[in-house]
Amino acid sequence: MDQLLQHTVNALILGGSYALLGIGLTLIFGIMRVVNFTHGELYAFGAYMMYMWVMLAGTNFYLALVLAVITGIGLGAMIEVVLLRRLRGADIDTTMLVMIGAWIALQNLEQFTWSGVAKSISTPFPASPLVLGPISVSWNRLFVFVVASALIVATYALIHKSKLGKAMRATFQDRDTAALMGVEINRIHTATFALGSGLAAAAGALLGPVFVAYPSMGDLASLKAFAIVILGGLGSIPGATAGGFILAFMEELGAGYVSSGFRDGMGFLLIIAILLVKPTGLFARRERIG
Amino acid sequence: MTRTVSGMLAGLALALLAGHAAAQDSIKIGVTQPLTGAFAASGNYVAQGAKLAEEEINKAGGVLGKKLQLVIEDNKSNPTEAVATAEKLINSDKVPVLMGAWSSTLTLAVMPKLEEYQVPMLVETSSSGKITTSGNPFVFRISPTSEMEAKAFAPLFKTMNIKKADFLATNNDFGLGASKEFSQAAKANGVEVGVMETMDPKATDFSAQLAKIKSSGADTLFVTTAVEQITLILKQAKDQQLPQKIITTGGSNSPDQLIAQAGDAANGTYHLVFFTPWFPEAVKNADVAKQFVALWNDKKFNVGGLTEGFRGWDGIHVIAAAISAAGKADAAAITKALWDVKVKGINGDISFIKQGPSGKESAQNVPSVYLIKIENGKVTRQ
Amino acid sequence: MKRLATLAGLAALASVPLWLSNLYLLHVLIMTGIFIIAAMSLNLLLGYTGQLSLGHVAFFGIGAYTSSLMSLGFTVHLLPDWPVSLEPKPVWLSMLGGVGMAALCGWVIGRVSFKVRGAYFVIVTVSFAEVVRLVALNWVELTQGPMALNNIPVLRLGIAGYELSFLRKPANYYLVLVVAALAYLLIRRLVNSRAGRAMIALRENEALAASVGIDVTRYLVLAALLSAGIAGAAGALYAHYVRIVDPEVFSFIYTVTMVIMVVTGGKGTLAGPLVGGLIFGLLPEGLRALGIAPEIQWVSYGVLMILIVNFLPAGIVPAVAGVWRGRAAAAVAEPLTANEQASA
Repeated sequence: MDQLLQHTVNALILGGSYALLGIGLTLIFGIMRVVNFTHGELYAFGAYMMYMWVMLAGTNFYLALVLAVITGIGLGAMIEVVLLRRLRGADIDTTMLVMIGAWIALQNLEQFTWSGVAKSISTPFPASPLVLGPISVSWNRLFVFVVASALIVATYALIHKSKLGKAMRATFQDRDTAALMGVEINRIHTATFALGSGLAAAAGALLGPVFVAYPSMGDLASLKAFAIVILGGLGSIPGATAGGFILAFMEELGAGYVSSGFRDGMGFLLIIAILLVKPTGLFARRERIG
Repeated sequence: MTRTVSGMLAGLALALLAGHAAAQDSIKIGVTQPLTGAFAASGNYVAQGAKLAEEEINKAGGVLGKKLQLVIEDNKSNPTEAVATAEKLINSDKVPVLMGAWSSTLTLAVMPKLEEYQVPMLVETSSSGKITTSGNPFVFRISPTSEMEAKAFAPLFKTMNIKKADFLATNNDFGLGASKEFSQAAKANGVEVGVMETMDPKATDFSAQLAKIKSSGADTLFVTTAVEQITLILKQAKDQQLPQKIITTGGSNSPDQLIAQAGDAANGTYHLVFFTPWFPEAVKNADVAKQFVALWNDKKFNVGGLTEGFRGWDGIHVIAAAISAAGKADAAAITKALWDVKVKGINGDISFIKQGPSGKESAQNVPSVYLIKIENGKVTRQ
Repeated sequence: MKRLATLAGLAALASVPLWLSNLYLLHVLIMTGIFIIAAMSLNLLLGYTGQLSLGHVAFFGIGAYTSSLMSLGFTVHLLPDWPVSLEPKPVWLSMLGGVGMAALCGWVIGRVSFKVRGAYFVIVTVSFAEVVRLVALNWVELTQGPMALNNIPVLRLGIAGYELSFLRKPANYYLVLVVAALAYLLIRRLVNSRAGRAMIALRENEALAASVGIDVTRYLVLAALLSAGIAGAAGALYAHYVRIVDPEVFSFIYTVTMVIMVVTGGKGTLAGPLVGGLIFGLLPEGLRALGIAPEIQWVSYGVLMILIVNFLPAGIVPAVAGVWRGRAAAAVAEPLTANEQASA
């Protein structure tokens, strides 16, 4: 029973960051219909930014977090403007191939810059965990959970309550009408991609210090993000949130009770199962945006 | 269109006609190591150790009056690439002897090439039993097998008061082999075997495995994997307040790096290593060890790499001794000479015994194993 | 004229082992050849039916593992007291087994994944490849997991009393050349047949093709089956040449390499994978000789792919072919355009 409680706590905490990853991708894949293979690289980028600011520049941990997210948003915007803008009307295969090219280039640049050796990032949190009866949780992970939850709520508010969010939803529902209504299409595309990328960078910046930063950390993150988006339904933020937690639970309980070696495979099995049974995802209604 | 292709083929043929000239005034040793990819950290340390040996030998006059020249190729931590590097070193660079390939899978991939071209290879790190029991007479290994490591540890089960042990290993040859050998040694010494868990070599989250281990009732946990995963395991074990004492095996555990990166989580943990750079006087050939540590620090190489870099040093010295004894830089002569070398290496005295099916034995050294403990951020002898 | 050029090209290729003394370069050519076969199979799916399958390496790996396991023999316990074993089979039979198994998997995946399209299809195929990799990694009793299957036997053929052993490089080179030629001919036949035209119709406009009565799923599945089988053949060749197979053979990076080869060479053309395969098979070795770090090599691959997709979207072969055709037609074209302008 104790083991089950510990697994549950672990899964809850992991789920928060997974949800963050998923929401970022559901904005890009779900709304913009871009098969974003660079999503994982933004995740890795966030972690490496933390390494750079905290370990190399000696910046304050919390300030570094903010900086990491901001640079993530910047990188996302750059990718959209440089690579995607000219391909706006092209078919999905072409965009996919360009994103694959960008992904390989980014990951290997990262590996060349930082070398393949994994990097640890120091945190200001106490080393001893918080112990509540039979369960123990590290302060670091608790912090991640709190921040991730806050970001999820903030994103939802942004999409549904703000003017920018309204413009986003309008653009992707009906581009021509939105343009007629005065929405700057180019800016919205860039903003959406940048926002999604920023969330991925945030997830990486939060989880990097919990684990380590290494160049291929984005690959698994990317694939899990796709699983979450498909599970939750393209374009649905609540769907991606729920999907993140469901994946975390499946991984944690599967690894704990079925096979620890298959932990990371749960995501893929999930994708295949869902796409066979209900391809539109658990939460999607037709063409739902936000 | 076919014209285009034919044109390109003609161009290709011309390019291929360009050959490769070999320098005759130095003796080449081929080195294949993972300089990039999953094992890059360790591969680079071994290569650094090897280069230190090359420099030291050349400063002392070289071998047979000629300079040693290491030709180092990157096998990218990938078996297909390992084969390609072997092909290149043997056929293009025409080396008479190789050292490599770090991990057991990479070494196993190269082994058929050794027999095909009749070139010997010095195996400096791989631990799989298969390597010296496959009937390949061109394999000369100086690193210990997991079986040897477990045997060396056996008396400590009693002295460390171990009653029940769990095992956590990375899911590859190295980890699984170690878990198997250590659990067998445990059983043979009256110790109960608890949980045996594995993880993907690239995994970073071990909370599920550790949660299982936490409630197993064992007093000791044996961990076998590379240093990055060990760092994470130590941190996460502390997060979950694991009651077991942790012993890491395999020699890729770099205690200095653990102290630096795991901090307080590393205190109270034990490690089996094959070289003790913190107290070089503890090894049999203390002067060689001290010389190596001094040279390494002169070049300002990462201190954490000493526990792996020494393998490169020992390997090149053994090869150099064999070439000297053989009298010429010829693969067949070197193969014969390797059997009789006796070198004072950093790990201890190196010489080879026969192992494997009779008539086609491989060579194996019997190395020394040391246990250290980390306390208060420092390494202490046990 | 075309036929003469093709024969000359083949003869040139066939002569290589006779004069190429550097065995290392011969090894590079053999590996390139194996990858070209795999690229041709991907081209069938990506180029001719327009479906971007990013799990293609799974079929390569399944072919490699099946062939290896059949030639080594194995015993597995499906239940604790229910062992299933297979005695080692001759290598030529194992290779056919590899092709068959891969084709079977291609058929199954085809039937299952063609229920979804576009981005979903891509993701399903990627997931499939990852699951297969994890199975290979974790089902240790069958596949030896990360310990790898080694000592895989070489192909031996008995012809008229002589035993031909494919241990040495020249023999392997010819084997790969023959299989590549066969694969090329098979694909060409298919593409020029009715089934092929249906596939191309599918690629251009699926809804329209379906409305004209083309059985979309049937042709897609056929393409998947053949494509997987050819990839499996490449895998089997790899297994018995390199003689060690580990789960890394399912790495996504090999799929990426195949995609780059097909896309830069020219998807949907017969020569595209050949050209792309030659370039990206030889480039790493060339870069290695220059001492360029492998990371920089991959960065340049990524950048190259982005450039090609943007500026030469059809690939190198159609672009070059366009130049050839343009030159031949230029002499005739100019007066026409001048006249047109005058009359406009």
